[in-house]
Amino acid sequence: MASAAAVLVLTASACAGGGSSSSSSSASSSRAANAAAITKPVTITFDEVEAAGSLKTAMQSAVTAFEKANPKITVSLTAYSTYGPLLTAETAQVAAGKAPTIGQAYESWAEKFATSKVIVPISSLPGAASTMTTDLSTFYTGVQNDLKLPDGQVWMWPFSKSLQVLFYNADLLKADGITSTPTTWTQFAADLKTASKNGVVGITIDPGNATEGVTSGEEWLEELAASNGTQVYTSDGAPQFTSPAVVAALDYLVTLKKEGALATGTNYPGETALGAKKGLVDLSSSAGYYYEQQTVGGKFPLTTTVLPSGSSGSADEMAGANLVVFSSATTEQKAAAWKFLQFLSGPAEQAAWSAATGYYPVTSQALTEPAMASYLKQNPWVSTTITGLNNAIVDPPYSWVTQCGIDLSTAISAALSGTSASSALSTAQSACTTAKSNA
Amino acid sequence: MIGTTTGAAGSAGTGQTGGRKRAKRVGHGTERDFRRTKKGWLYSGPAVLIFGAFIILPTFYTFYVSLWNWNVLNPSLSVYKGLGNYKELLTATDPGFLQTLWNSLYFTGAMVIAGTAISLCLALLLQRGGSIMNASRVAIYLPNATPLIATSLIWGWIYNPQFGLANWVLHSLHLPTSPWVEGQATSMPAVILFSLWHEVGFTMIVFLGGLTIINDEYSEAARVDGAGPWQEFWYVTWPQLRPVTSFVIVITTILSLQSFTQFYQLSGGGPNNATTTLSYLVYEESQVLQNTGYAAALAVVLFLITVFFTFVRWRTTPGVSATS
Amino acid sequence: MVRTAAMPRWPAGRRGVAPRGRKKAWRWLRRILAAAIGAGFVFPFYWTFVISTDRPGQFDSFPPVLLPQWDWANWSRAWALAPWPRLFLNTVFIASCTVILCLITSTLAGFAFGVLQFPGRKALMALTLSVLMMPQTVLIIPDYVLASDIHWVDTYWIQIVPWGASVFGIFLVRQFFVTMPREILDAATVDGAGRMQILWRIGVPAVRPALVIISITVFIASWNSFLWPLVMTRSESIQPIEVGLSSFAGANGTDIPGLAAAATFTTLPLIIFFLLLQRQFVRGALSAAGSIR
Repeated sequence: MASAAAVLVLTASACAGGGSSSSSSSASSSRAANAAAITKPVTITFDEVEAAGSLKTAMQSAVTAFEKANPKITVSLTAYSTYGPLLTAETAQVAAGKAPTIGQAYESWAEKFATSKVIVPISSLPGAASTMTTDLSTFYTGVQNDLKLPDGQVWMWPFSKSLQVLFYNADLLKADGITSTPTTWTQFAADLKTASKNGVVGITIDPGNATEGVTSGEEWLEELAASNGTQVYTSDGAPQFTSPAVVAALDYLVTLKKEGALATGTNYPGETALGAKKGLVDLSSSAGYYYEQQTVGGKFPLTTTVLPSGSSGSADEMAGANLVVFSSATTEQKAAAWKFLQFLSGPAEQAAWSAATGYYPVTSQALTEPAMASYLKQNPWVSTTITGLNNAIVDPPYSWVTQCGIDLSTAISAALSGTSASSALSTAQSACTTAKSNA
Repeated sequence: MIGTTTGAAGSAGTGQTGGRKRAKRVGHGTERDFRRTKKGWLYSGPAVLIFGAFIILPTFYTFYVSLWNWNVLNPSLSVYKGLGNYKELLTATDPGFLQTLWNSLYFTGAMVIAGTAISLCLALLLQRGGSIMNASRVAIYLPNATPLIATSLIWGWIYNPQFGLANWVLHSLHLPTSPWVEGQATSMPAVILFSLWHEVGFTMIVFLGGLTIINDEYSEAARVDGAGPWQEFWYVTWPQLRPVTSFVIVITTILSLQSFTQFYQLSGGGPNNATTTLSYLVYEESQVLQNTGYAAALAVVLFLITVFFTFVRWRTTPGVSATS
Repeated sequence: MVRTAAMPRWPAGRRGVAPRGRKKAWRWLRRILAAAIGAGFVFPFYWTFVISTDRPGQFDSFPPVLLPQWDWANWSRAWALAPWPRLFLNTVFIASCTVILCLITSTLAGFAFGVLQFPGRKALMALTLSVLMMPQTVLIIPDYVLASDIHWVDTYWIQIVPWGASVFGIFLVRQFFVTMPREILDAATVDGAGRMQILWRIGVPAVRPALVIISITVFIASWNSFLWPLVMTRSESIQPIEVGLSSFAGANGTDIPGLAAAATFTTLPLIIFFLLLQRQFVRGALSAAGSIR
């Protein structure tokens, strides 16, 4: 009786899960490829994380502008507070056969969605085949590469990309006699040490955990390793956590901690410390710009700079989720979705989006848009750092990367709690390798 | 709730035997007739239906799914693994199974031992009447009535090593400050402290109730014989509290093994897996990593452990007969 | 020694005898200790309120500011960020319906398990108890699929019905029935009453303390739920208040004073509700606990 019930539920969810009917989409798409005009009213749903503050208002303005230009299309937004609930919701809806039309997704999620055949390649969207390549070429190189999965096809579309930047307390810099912001990691460490006195800790980071997902602390480790010469993953997604460059990167953090120049916390602790004048600098996503300003509240001027370099140059990690289109959407919805994707990634909207949120525009054509003019003037760091989108590092698009990221976060907190960096990383290495082989 | 005898013993409590004869054969037959019925399950029907649909059926689904490399997005792509997930679970690293199990048992053990002891002491302290006593009882119960999400957020801030109240208090008392949830060794104790604050109010109320029915004349007799307060407690009060204590221990065990929200909100399973309990790992594997089959296997293991502890407690409590 | 029956009595202790000297001192010591402990337990709530009324720049100062500053800017900011009145009404509605449903199912099932004798009773009881032992995080996806199949996603139904049965409630009612003298229920059969009538006329009033406890605990639990409605609903028009709070926390996590304000006004109604009813609750809980034998 138990197995019958299980089969019942299993069948229900299997039927609901969309089965393996992906072959139909490619057939219909080649026919509908040029039929890009929307003739009947259509509603598309979009699951995203632009849930508060300037993100929310910017997204709503984007939708209003799009609907005005495309009167037959309605975009229905559902916002989630962070990526965790977003993934749960997208998964649950796909499992129930009620996936949204468009959803935000990290590269690792997209890979799982693609191999499970619940999303469609962008080229298969009605209207995309003819213009996709041209549109792609307008994006920064790093962004272009980020949209592909291991099979080489473009499965995602960009609209909110960020790089890491450093936010300094300009008053503290002056008070500590630091006349120019550091350009090397060695100098950075020295400056942090100088600043760490009288209740000030140079920098506070969040190593990350399973609840929070990707954090700046873990990204910093990846950037340090890359600037030492070796990235934490190979392009096939294999971990290289025990390579000397990565160990040296973790040792760098451990030394900072030992010297009292580094503290840990959760929930954007660097921002809180900076705002309380208890930190010299915060390493954060550029999209945190407005949050930083709010927390600082005008108590002191902020100096924003690019990351320093290591022995092999400088490395910055690109972050921000992409957009995917789910296969259960109807042909009309997919056509409308393509129009929306084009709109969001176009120069005009990217300029407005970037100026409102602190994300970088994904295309350089946005920099000359009027909407960006005053923002660029007030924030010169944007123009100087944006070319980083061409060669930013990014985690390879494999589903096991999520687990490996958590393993790295664990290694960081282990090392900062006293375990040796090499043994912490070797634990992470074997856990990640297991995850990769199980996938 | 657990381990009660049937109604026959209940009548002894009132001290009244049947002074009036009850008509034995009226209407529906003997007085026992209305109790014996094949349709009794209908009464439990609504509850069982709700449990059945939303908990029991998905539980069977979970048992089933634990045998597969389950693709929740597209179940037709799932691959049968037999006991493979269980094997992987036992040989997992970072965190290892034993470490996760230890974290669960550490937390549960602390909650059961400290929680029972503290709530019993509070109950003994607060069993008198009076407005201060009453206010105190309410104050201690209040954390239990408030949302765990809200209180976890606030305690997260209290525990902040740089700005939090906790370290300020230690600092003012000239004690060394603690990293609280940020430190590998201090994280679990910090979560336990929060959980105790949240839970002891409930178990204190249960103990208070148990204390009200303590037979006073035994206590008086003991005092007359010269027993001090400790002896009175140990030889007279404590034995009479056994069913209540047993109830408290069972409930605390079950709830603690399943505890999740505080680990999610306060410590995120860290640092370095110090607070990754089985329950948190189930969340991590199912919601974050989407390893549905593996998560299901973990859930089954957690279920079996919970059943084990409940059963063991049930059987080993002397003087508490099994439920009829 | 005169044998008297052990009757539940509250509060314990001798009445009418004035405490002498040393006893009086002990009594005062107890009072002071009780007050201190109570204050300690309540302190985090006070602290939340203080943070919520801090002026800008005060919440992270060291040493911390311990007295409320009565600056309501954080409250107005937090208030504007979510449709709190609507969420509040949703929560009250959902919690009330859940309570009613739980009372019905608990009374019926408690009656079945505690009074009636039928084949399969022990199995059903074990099954009911085992419901507590499965972690909710794995059940949520299959439950979502089920909810979607019956078109209950993003409705009030899905937030009420699955929670309309409580293991705690069932066993509590059962406990009362089990320790109740047989004569009480038997009295009803004199008039030839059917089972349902016996339950309604005699059983329900007799387990009233249990029903009071169930009402309060289920209401509180419903108010506090967040994971289930987070996954099962997405429209603010039907979401409950804790989802609003956790979304607010996720999106504005570093606005601690705003968070404190939101935590205060989402918790305050519940605290007031509890304070008003706490006497009934404590009384009911005590007689319930007293019946655990």
